[in-house]
Amino acid sequence: MSTKIQLVCAWSGPATVVVATVGFLIAGVLPFPLGPNSTVTEVVDFYSDSTRVAAGLVIAGLGVCLVFPLVALIGVYMVRTEGRTPILTFVQLITGAATGVLLLLPLLLMTIGSFRPERNAELTVTLNDVSWLLFITPIAPFMIQNVAIGTSILQDQQSLLPRWVGYVNYWVAFLFVPDILAFFFHSGPFAWRGIFVFWLAFVAYGIFLMVMGWMLRRAILDDSVQAAPNAVATS
Amino acid sequence: MKVDSHVPTDLPEFLGGEPAVARQQCRPRPPAADGHTPGEPGLWVFILGDMSLFGAFFVVLLWQRRATPRTFEESARELLRFIGVINTAVLLLSSYLVVSALWAHRQGCWRRARISVLAALLCAAVFATLKVIEYLHVLRGGQGPTTNQFCTFYFVLTGVHLLHVMIGAGLLTAWLQQLRGHGSQSRFVEGVAVYWHMVDLLWVVIFTLLYLVCAA
Repeated sequence: MSTKIQLVCAWSGPATVVVATVGFLIAGVLPFPLGPNSTVTEVVDFYSDSTRVAAGLVIAGLGVCLVFPLVALIGVYMVRTEGRTPILTFVQLITGAATGVLLLLPLLLMTIGSFRPERNAELTVTLNDVSWLLFITPIAPFMIQNVAIGTSILQDQQSLLPRWVGYVNYWVAFLFVPDILAFFFHSGPFAWRGIFVFWLAFVAYGIFLMVMGWMLRRAILDDSVQAAPNAVATS
Repeated sequence: MKVDSHVPTDLPEFLGGEPAVARQQCRPRPPAADGHTPGEPGLWVFILGDMSLFGAFFVVLLWQRRATPRTFEESARELLRFIGVINTAVLLLSSYLVVSALWAHRQGCWRRARISVLAALLCAAVFATLKVIEYLHVLRGGQGPTTNQFCTFYFVLTGVHLLHVMIGAGLLTAWLQQLRGHGSQSRFVEGVAVYWHMVDLLWVVIFTLLYLVCAA
């Protein structure tokens, strides 16, 4: 039973990507998100189809919360590698919980934007700015989480997860760095919808969720085959 | 283990047969041709991934330059080119020092390794100091990160690169710690060396693009 639950948690990584993307597509956030240089009319138009936008964003909001089971599963594997003082495990659990909230909150604010689209246009623009900047810029918890996971994998003597997964985590942490530039630019590649901000972060986080979900799934299956608590997962 | 063919190795040491270990000490070894990956294979996921982001930066920089080549040229001429040249030399020197430190580390010459790593750290400090001086010069000249596209790329590229230099300095310091304990985790120190060479390589491209190509 535990193996089944763990497998579900592993699958919730890729599921986060799929469900959130479907939600974004329904809401119209993807493929062409609003940017800081969108006109007032464009922003108001986006939120005017309130039922579709709200439905899509609700789905996306449910989707990003699927990250919580994955965070818990990562914690289970990390605690096995760390032994009696699982400090990195705690860092990962705390920051992982924060990242889920930091993804959910801006989506809720965006949904609120679609709640009363007939309001004063300036308020809608402000709500839109708040949602997007809150969505893009709080990168520190994500980066700390990635560094904690990467360090724990590279220090692991049992190689429960392949070492390259540790390096992927470091890389993903690095890919989040340009996101803070979203505060400083209204257009171009470093504005919030520029390729080095929204798109890069979207791809980086997607890689993180897919790789962690997939490699944990393999580790769980290897464990259950060998039926030993300290079995070596992969080479 | 290479031994001159005319010296029999089985002679006692006082008759000219040197102990096998001593022959190799503190001498550069040719690169291993045994398919050994420097550091470890997984490390290269990070190295190549990191470089591909910089590659994307470079492509977009050159793309944006096509729209306003004149602005790029004027802003690029505001940079202190001699600082860029000195910094390039400093980083190339630091790469050499890291190579010699790695050789020394592999041979177990701890003192020489420590001196080389310390010298590389000094290079990193010089690089960062000169970078800050240049930032102050550019900012005082009235150009900030948001002045124009060139300035944006200048500050972002050199800023992210400086972040890499600082992380690299941290890794070199960790290497020093290992040397203090005479630890010989070759996987770790090779990884640090690979990372440092990447930092150097990226700077060479950044220097070429920002200081030379854009100013031309």
